[in-house]
This record gives sequence, structure tokens and C-alpha cells, in this order.
Amino acid sequence: MTRLGRWMTVGTLAGVALTSLACAAPIRVEAYAERGAKLARYRTFAFAPVEAAATGDPRLDSNPFFIQRVQAAVDRGLTDKGYRRDTSGAPDMIVHFHASVAQDIDVVAIDRTAGYCAQTDDCRPFVYDAGTLLMDLVDAQTKRLAWRGWAKTNLDGVVDNQTWLEQRVDTAVGRIVARMPRAGGN
Amino acid sequence: MRRLIGHATLALVSMVTAACATAMSVSSHVDREVDFSRYQTFDWGPADALPTGDPRLDANPFFKDHLQGEVEKQLAARGFTLAQTGAADLLVHYHAHISERIDVASVDKTYGYGGEVRDYEAGTIVIDVVDARTNKVIWRGWAQDAVKGMLDNQDTMAAKVNEAVTRMLARLPARTAGAAQR
Repeated sequence: MTRLGRWMTVGTLAGVALTSLACAAPIRVEAYAERGAKLARYRTFAFAPVEAAATGDPRLDSNPFFIQRVQAAVDRGLTDKGYRRDTSGAPDMIVHFHASVAQDIDVVAIDRTAGYCAQTDDCRPFVYDAGTLLMDLVDAQTKRLAWRGWAKTNLDGVVDNQTWLEQRVDTAVGRIVARMPRAGGN
Repeated sequence: MRRLIGHATLALVSMVTAACATAMSVSSHVDREVDFSRYQTFDWGPADALPTGDPRLDANPFFKDHLQGEVEKQLAARGFTLAQTGAADLLVHYHAHISERIDVASVDKTYGYGGEVRDYEAGTIVIDVVDARTNKVIWRGWAQDAVKGMLDNQDTMAAKVNEAVTRMLARLPARTAGAAQR
């Protein structure tokens, strides 16, 4: 391979890596259980009807590919936790989820604090699309919220790529559900 | 060598920029299980109830007529026929939306091209293709771009709509391989 060929190969690989880095981002996940909620009692779940509310991103509004992917990931995650999809019409808990997208500003505080910005202005604030996926578990009898978890991540370049969006949904839902107790409280 | 590294750097910046932000971004989601060759005809489905976010686009006959005409033309180019009688195989919906956004041109700033924070109006056109029998969306395409100079200039609007629809529907699986290449 010529020197130019090697440089082009390195450049292409670096480009792919940079592109991946630019479009992949960490996911921040948080959750809490409602005070007094008895999660250990729940065994079965069903999904609430999908709401037609705007997400803040018209690409995701009533997007069946996105909705089905979230439902499949939740279904898989809850099953792995020992819960069962209700078939009797009387589930213990109702799963409701909602996605929202809004522009956010990152001020690159860590880089600035660490002194990486001393000679250049590369660490200026940047704007990105922040997506939040929120998942509620509602007690089917009392209709009260029992548990809420959510994941927040940078969605720049993600919604436009169906495979990347599916991967991000799977990861986000998996990490949200990981915060839940197992069925029966084990 | 220094020149080569310079070119490589510019190419990398271009790749990252192209991956995450372009002038008009166009993409789609598709039901991968669906065989599009089994559909022949299409018709317009009922309009959705979602707001456009901008009264200038609400009940705008020029926008609606031009968009629908271009969609019909591009679907015909991909082998689908507008149903004249009877039930269509596919129903087509569209939705337009405008929102305020801000942008910081960080890459441009690095190369000395400015880089100020700016706000702009971003327009999105979403087209859904629905299987009329199952009432399931089997394909969604969208195009996003700044709408400055478009809403008050019909020639610009027509050109933008043409580009958006052409690029969106180029991503729709064609009914036949021949139609896709026409």
C-alpha cells in the first residue's frame, strides 16, 4: 500500500470514529419510587394507550417505528425483571411512556475547568437536541404513579438514522428498567 | 505531507458536519418487513390534527397544492398510481411544522467564518405512507430546513418543497426496480 493509500485508510477510519463520537453521546438515567408505593406487589403489566401529544420533534410525533421500538424494549426489559404482560384485562400496573425533544445548551464546563480551553475557543457552548424518554408505572387499581424513570441524551444525528435510534432506544429503556426492582422485590 | 494532513482534517470536519448538520436534512423510517411491490395505488388520507406551529402555513393553499402535486409526481415516478376509483392500497398524509431554533456554528468559527449564535425558524415536512388495509404507517419521511425567505416568496417555497419532496420520496422503496431508477 502506498503512503497516500495508508493515509487515506487512516483518514477514513478516523472519520468513521469521529462521526460515531460526534453522534453518540452518554445517556443519563434517573428514577424514583413514589413514597409508599408497594412495587413488590406487582406481577403483571399492560401498556396505556399511546398518547398523541407532541414530542417537540415532528419526526417523532406519532412515529409508530419509535413507539413500537420503545414498547418492545420495555416489554423485554420488564419480562427479564420477572414481570408478565397481562392477558386477563386486569394488570397490576399500567406502563405509560412519553418522549420529548428540546434544544439544550452545553457549556463544556468540564473542559473549561480542566484547562483544555486555555489557548483556543474550541470549548465554546454548543447547542444540541436533548431527548428525554420518560417511563411511568401506574398502579392499575389506584391510578396513582408508583414509579418513574427517565433517560436523557443527545439526539443530534440520531433520529435521522433509524438503526441508531433503535440502538439508543434499546439502551435507554434497558437502563431505565434496570433501575426497577425485580418482580416480587427480589 | 502537511498539505495532505490539512486536506484530511478538512475532510474529517466535513464528514462530522455532514453527519450531524446539513442545509436541508432528509431522512426516513421504514417498516423493514413490508414488501412495497405489492402496493399499486395511493390516495390522500385525512389531514392530521397536529398544529403547524405557524399560522402562515395553516390553511395555506399554495403550499398545500404544490406539496400535494409534487408528492403525486414523485410517487408516480416510483411506480405508484393515484387511485381514480375504488379504495387505494396506500394512504398518504403529510404534516408541516415550524419551530424556533438556535444554532452555534462552532465548526465555522474554528475556521474563522463567524460562529455567532443565531436563532432561526426551522421547517419540517413529514410524509407518512399508510397501508390502507391495516391502517399502519409503513414509511415516514421528513425534510428539515430553515424557512427564511420561503414563506413570503412563492418561487422559493416551490423550489424548497420540490427539493424536499424529491429527496424524501427518493428514500421510499420503489414499487418496481425500474421505477426506482427512472
